[in-house]
Amino acid sequence: MATRMPKHGVNRRTLLKAAAATGALQVAGPFIIAARGEEPVKIGLDNPLTGTYAAVGKNELIGCQLALEQINAKGGILGRQAELLVEDSTSGDAGTAVQKARKLIERDKVNFLLGNVNSALALAMADVSSEKGVLHIVPGGHTDAVTGATCHWNVFRVCNTTQMEANAVTPTLIKNAGKKWYFITPDYAFGHTLQAGLEKAGGKAGYTKVGGDLTPLGTTDFSSYLIKAQAANPDVIIFLTQGDDMINALKQAVQFGLDKRFHLAGGQQELEALEGLPPEARIGTWVFEWYWNQPNVPHVKDFVDAIKKKTGRVPTARTWFGFASTWSCALAANEAKSLDAVKMAKALSGLKLPPEVSLMPDQAFYRVGQNQLIPNLFVGQAQAKGSAPDDLFKVTEVVKGTDAAGTLEETGCKMKWPV
Amino acid sequence: MKRVPAVAWTGLIWLVLLTMPYWMRAVGGYTELASRVLVLGLAAMSLNFLLGFTGVLSFGHAAYFGLGAYGAAMTIKYIAPSTPLGILVGVATGTLAAMVIGALIARLRGVYFAMVTIAFGQVFYFIAFRWNSVTGGDDGVTGWKRQALDLGLAKIDLLGNDKAFYYFILACFAIAVTLMWLLLRSPFGRTLLAIRENERRARFLGVPVERHIWLSFVISCCFVSLAGTLYALLNNFTDPRALRWDQSGNFVIMAVLGGMRSFWGPLIGAAIFVVLQDYVSSHTENWMSFIGLFFVLVVLFFPRGVLGILRRKGMA
Repeated sequence: MATRMPKHGVNRRTLLKAAAATGALQVAGPFIIAARGEEPVKIGLDNPLTGTYAAVGKNELIGCQLALEQINAKGGILGRQAELLVEDSTSGDAGTAVQKARKLIERDKVNFLLGNVNSALALAMADVSSEKGVLHIVPGGHTDAVTGATCHWNVFRVCNTTQMEANAVTPTLIKNAGKKWYFITPDYAFGHTLQAGLEKAGGKAGYTKVGGDLTPLGTTDFSSYLIKAQAANPDVIIFLTQGDDMINALKQAVQFGLDKRFHLAGGQQELEALEGLPPEARIGTWVFEWYWNQPNVPHVKDFVDAIKKKTGRVPTARTWFGFASTWSCALAANEAKSLDAVKMAKALSGLKLPPEVSLMPDQAFYRVGQNQLIPNLFVGQAQAKGSAPDDLFKVTEVVKGTDAAGTLEETGCKMKWPV
Repeated sequence: MKRVPAVAWTGLIWLVLLTMPYWMRAVGGYTELASRVLVLGLAAMSLNFLLGFTGVLSFGHAAYFGLGAYGAAMTIKYIAPSTPLGILVGVATGTLAAMVIGALIARLRGVYFAMVTIAFGQVFYFIAFRWNSVTGGDDGVTGWKRQALDLGLAKIDLLGNDKAFYYFILACFAIAVTLMWLLLRSPFGRTLLAIRENERRARFLGVPVERHIWLSFVISCCFVSLAGTLYALLNNFTDPRALRWDQSGNFVIMAVLGGMRSFWGPLIGAAIFVVLQDYVSSHTENWMSFIGLFFVLVVLFFPRGVLGILRRKGMA
């Protein structure tokens, strides 16, 4: 029996057209531009919203949005309203990140550029922003070079350098887990410098490296690396992978029962990764760059509540990076009383963040000559269950940033200001 | 309605390309976007030299695109700070690699040819990705900039003046496209068409088919590596993603989107791809689905690409 489409029914073309039209509507949403007396001050965020770093990128975005609401509620930047323009840089495609940075600077004429989570993309964007002379704040790309060997007068960074993280965590790591280390390191700028940082800090404390592997970004199967690590018989396997890679690596290590034989620990750890892990894999010594459970520090609870109201979850270090970065833009402009990039950069360098932005025991400040924020670091243990469902980390020691940062000479930054 | 003559089409395209930086901003674009359209358009047109006019599908053109990019980047960074030298070295690297690999694969046809080009492409990708000490690994080659063009009498600032750089790219594009056009009109080009239409018949006529396919592959890769060098100069940066298989896939999508039977089709396809990506990704993080949807619609309804449908309307 021949089955033909009924003439008056919905045929394939109509259906496809309808699908296309629905799709187009999603994009061509109404552009409501409220009438404003003055052109708003523009902050451009060029950060991952897709790919491996989508989750952390979105948390930074939420932090930025909260800061923007607060800034506008308090009178804006130099009395003008502030506006956030968001572009997806993808998680690893520097071509796209650079293109989007130019789009924000050239077409949209942003006053500030924010980004990027991926260290390599942050470096590529810093080249663009310094070429154009736009104030650029890197919320969460950790590799040392951003405020080290390739530092620029206009590029500031909120998150720590990998060397600072390594310096902060190493003493506790050696005390808790031992001196024979095996590294599992992601194969790109961040991983290389974090491992180098740990080797440097460990060298001072007399560690021995029994081996290590470089794993490509986006590795899902770590079994071959874990077998090699097991054979090297270390005291501790150090996991430097991040994001989904961290989750996969730790989960598989625990499935293999390696946690019964060795310590599993590492450098930087994030709440996003711990949330993705089963309880039995939330183990080991790590360093957090910001933690929401700081009962005795003023303003932290307000921030946590505001974010909880927005998203239903506690803020992570990433949320705070975005928050502090956006606030830094407003602070720089209001301090300099100008939107001139050089004047704002001069005002920002050396600036102490006010307690309601800093949100940690010691006030964080941008170090002169390097443009690096020097905050507290939170060293401790991952835990299966804490005081609250989101309390997955037990802070055992709050390290002062000034102790972890090393000297200015060690960073390798030689700052050149425009004449 | 009378068919619009090809000369009019070509004239219109050149007029648009020549004036692009001056009206891009008015329609919500920016000069960098125009440059990107040109560079990726050149890459897609080069691929189409092989795909549309020789009838051989390569899924590994990003390898030569990337070799051009790395060649230019590393020359400027390590050897001599000169933009033309970077371009020359980049094109030479890509072409040499294509000559060697082309000789190995010119006998393969259809899906086997496509598979082997992917495989060789991935070889270059992993070399760039893993050989940290030389290529910078996943971070790519940073810390260099395109240099001013020294013409003896005058210096052209390619770095600070984005319009000047656009016209520099346009000049390279014009030379490459004219060469391709001349080649396609030559007896050699006609022979390629004969191979595309009926390979067995061409062989019976005494055409050395393998050598022609090899030559077509090398020419196509030579121009795609030129596009690669320009892409590196445009970004002041290059990384292994420039030579990964998905980049090759993008070139094929651009060629098919625009229309692979026409000379200018891939340029139109690249323009649509780049502008769509740029525009949609500012509004939704699911921008890739929209490009995919658009591609599916084009393949379903306009198998000859966007330019194919325009031509058909013109003839009707």
